[in-house]
Amino acid sequence: MVMKVLWFIVSPLAALVVGILFLALSRRFMARIQWRYGPPLYQPLIDIMRLFTQRSVSHGPVFDLGIVLTLAASFVVVLFLPFGGICPLGGSGGLLVVLYMMLLAPLGVALSAGEAANPNSSIGVSRKFILALGYEVPLLLVLLAVMTRYDTISLTEIVAAQRAATSSIATFPLVLSGVAYLLIMPAVMGLRPFEVVQAPQEISSGPMAELGGRYLAMATLQHTLSMFIAISLFVNLLWGGASNPFVFFLKMLVVFALGLWVNAAFPRLRVDQAIRYLWRWPTLVAFVGLLLVVVIGR
Amino acid sequence: MSLGLLLLIAMGGSAVTYVLGGLSERLRDAVAVLVSLTVAVGVALLYGRSFESTLCTGFLGIPLLLRIGPLSWLFAMTVASVGCLSVIFSLSYMRGRERTGFYYAALLLVQAAMLGVTLAGDLLSLFIFWEIMSWSTFLLISYNGGSALAAGMKYFVMSIVGSLSMLVGVVLVYVAFGTVQLSGVAASLGAASPGYVLAVLLLFGAAFGVKSAVWPFHAWLPPAHSEAPSPFSAVLSGVLIKMGFYGFLLLMYVLIGMRGFLELGWRALPVHTILAIVGAVTIILPTFIALLQTDAKRLLAWSTVAQAGYIILGISFGTSLGVAGGTLHFLSHAAFKALLFMVAGAVEYRTGGVRDLDSLGGLIKRMPLTFVAALVGVCGLIGVPLTNGFISKWLIYKTLILEGSPFLAFVALIGTWGTILYGYKFLHNIFLGQLPETLRDVKPAPFSMRVPMTVLMAVVVLFGVLPGIPLRVIDTIGTSFGFSSLRVAPWGIVSESGVVNTVNILAAVVVGVLAAWLIFRSGKRGERVDQADSYAAGAAVPEGRYQYSVHFYDPLRRMMAPWLVDRVDSFYMGLAARFNVVSDGLRRIYTGYVGHYVLYVVLFLSAVIFVQIVWGPW
Repeated sequence: MVMKVLWFIVSPLAALVVGILFLALSRRFMARIQWRYGPPLYQPLIDIMRLFTQRSVSHGPVFDLGIVLTLAASFVVVLFLPFGGICPLGGSGGLLVVLYMMLLAPLGVALSAGEAANPNSSIGVSRKFILALGYEVPLLLVLLAVMTRYDTISLTEIVAAQRAATSSIATFPLVLSGVAYLLIMPAVMGLRPFEVVQAPQEISSGPMAELGGRYLAMATLQHTLSMFIAISLFVNLLWGGASNPFVFFLKMLVVFALGLWVNAAFPRLRVDQAIRYLWRWPTLVAFVGLLLVVVIGR
Repeated sequence: MSLGLLLLIAMGGSAVTYVLGGLSERLRDAVAVLVSLTVAVGVALLYGRSFESTLCTGFLGIPLLLRIGPLSWLFAMTVASVGCLSVIFSLSYMRGRERTGFYYAALLLVQAAMLGVTLAGDLLSLFIFWEIMSWSTFLLISYNGGSALAAGMKYFVMSIVGSLSMLVGVVLVYVAFGTVQLSGVAASLGAASPGYVLAVLLLFGAAFGVKSAVWPFHAWLPPAHSEAPSPFSAVLSGVLIKMGFYGFLLLMYVLIGMRGFLELGWRALPVHTILAIVGAVTIILPTFIALLQTDAKRLLAWSTVAQAGYIILGISFGTSLGVAGGTLHFLSHAAFKALLFMVAGAVEYRTGGVRDLDSLGGLIKRMPLTFVAALVGVCGLIGVPLTNGFISKWLIYKTLILEGSPFLAFVALIGTWGTILYGYKFLHNIFLGQLPETLRDVKPAPFSMRVPMTVLMAVVVLFGVLPGIPLRVIDTIGTSFGFSSLRVAPWGIVSESGVVNTVNILAAVVVGVLAAWLIFRSGKRGERVDQADSYAAGAAVPEGRYQYSVHFYDPLRRMMAPWLVDRVDSFYMGLAARFNVVSDGLRRIYTGYVGHYVLYVVLFLSAVIFVQIVWGPW
């Protein structure tokens, strides 16, 4: 019982630490690619702490609540995801609940950005939802392929099934789903070339246009968690999870590095270009993957 | 309370309301609320009972019967409660309008007729109440005149086609079995040949399909829902189209019976799979059409078509989870869609009839409770965990995935993502963003509108947190159909593979919010600023023009609009136009000259004589 309660605290904290570490690594990594030194690893932590003490504006109760909701929702999703053997809420509705919980965070951002009464925020939110619709099509095909293959909707059971045999991505029909997930990963994480939601040079950071001080700090924390969630989902569903948190972290790091390379190499797409891409190759590959899973059998 | 008395109160209440309308408006309002409340309480008292009674003994030599069981009770209860809330909502919405006496009488009559449909114990009385329901609905849809009249006509024509097909079905059943009593028909239909059962299914299915607005019978719904007075839109969307689903459930699992229904059709493509695919089509197209709408009520109307797809998908999939999910989704949808139409109605009422999503905005500062209602309704519509829509959709998805229909599951899940897009558009364009100068003086919704909205909000959340309450009733319905019982607990369903546990989710969300709030609190407080104090890259905020709501999803709209033409509707309209041309041609033979008419008579008689001489058929 005590262990269980402990997991409830440890797992979101671990996700936060990993997420912030990723943020720091990404800044170093990008800097090295661009022949700079980059900030020290503890810089994002200092930034977040500083933001909490700085002045900010509020546009009303929904503006505040939306930001709280988005961070809370991300915490909750983390509780449902196995993190190398740690999974506080493994048996409460499975992947379907995770899918639904994952939409609460954007909804919170959207509500907050809506009350901010700034058209830049509204444009950002509208882009976020369009982009989400874009990557959800291949993503859902991937998730359904995995769920159909293992005949369960429970994440922990999917991980267990892979541990008993081999990672999904190394088996035949699911390799296609794995490839499709990798193709859409930058979009899920909001990295370039799919950075249309923030687009700082164009719509002043979109939904974050009105955020400052503690609001921006909360948004940053949420951003780190959302990166954690996107990568963790891949590692759990397709790369076999891990028996201990350290191996899990290493696997996440490899996937994250892949995402950063793409981020460094590509310029930003327009929203409609992004949708055209997402609904073409990744969808086709994911569709064929699901079809083969259904045809070949479970 | 006997069923006959209940119907008498409902029907009589409608007439009394009409008469009282001429005497005193206050008295009429009070009586209308009282009648609908009495009916709701009366139905509630019938919980858990099942019996049959006779309404009248000899109509055309056939006794008319009433009966109640778990299935009838659930639908009757939904009809009575949504109806009652809609009457209360109407009190201020209709004040000062003309022909209000007629409005209330028709509203109560629709409810009485729907009650009759759910309580009918034989096919003939089902048909009679069905007809009363159809034409009284027409009166209310076309209440506003103008374009509402055209919408009403569209509804009426489609409805008549459905009713006629149902009448043929009733006659077919009566001729074959000599009875129209539901239990008698059920016994005989179980042993009938598959071809005959299929014919009955098609004939009745057409009537139920038109009413439930399942693709390709949906064309009447969007104009009708958006042109009707808002409290009645809530009834239309919340319960009236659900009569079609009541019909489907009755037909599939009571009359034909579960085994017969699931075995109907061909080995590779059973009929119930075809219906599930029809459900999937009904989900996907209307969802994306809803995205393009700029009229608040039209958006909700298209969304109703899409949600009807989930219900038909669930109930025709034919597993215990699927039928439970579909039936629960009917209940969930009744609550959140009625709520959303009331929100649209309240906004329409307070802004002087504005429904255009491009010209509203920022109303959260003027109508906070209505915003919360809209938020709860949209969350239910999307199926956010801890609202009632989540459980029903979860059941449907789960059975689709585990029974090996991932493509149907994919369509259902993508439909949900589309729902998020139009749901947020509804919220944003009405309540968020900048408040335009023209809406500065908007007042909050009046008390009589806040009451029904609050009740519905409570239902959406309560059934989301404790889904066991409705699921218990639905489980008895499922077992009466012959499905295996779900192990229902107050917080969800216990089953072999995958459990939904709302208490765990609730605890996690509460803890998550608490943690996030504590982190938030630890920071320095933000300074509260006005909407004009917004980031505009150093320039002054342009008053009244600093809003992004026109073409909210423009990139998507430009990509998808060419694909999202409602071809079914164009087909119907084309058919109607052809029909008009032909009728217009036929009309020309009425020239007004007696000589011409004599000529027609002579020509006809000579044709008859010619036929008799040559072939001699008579």
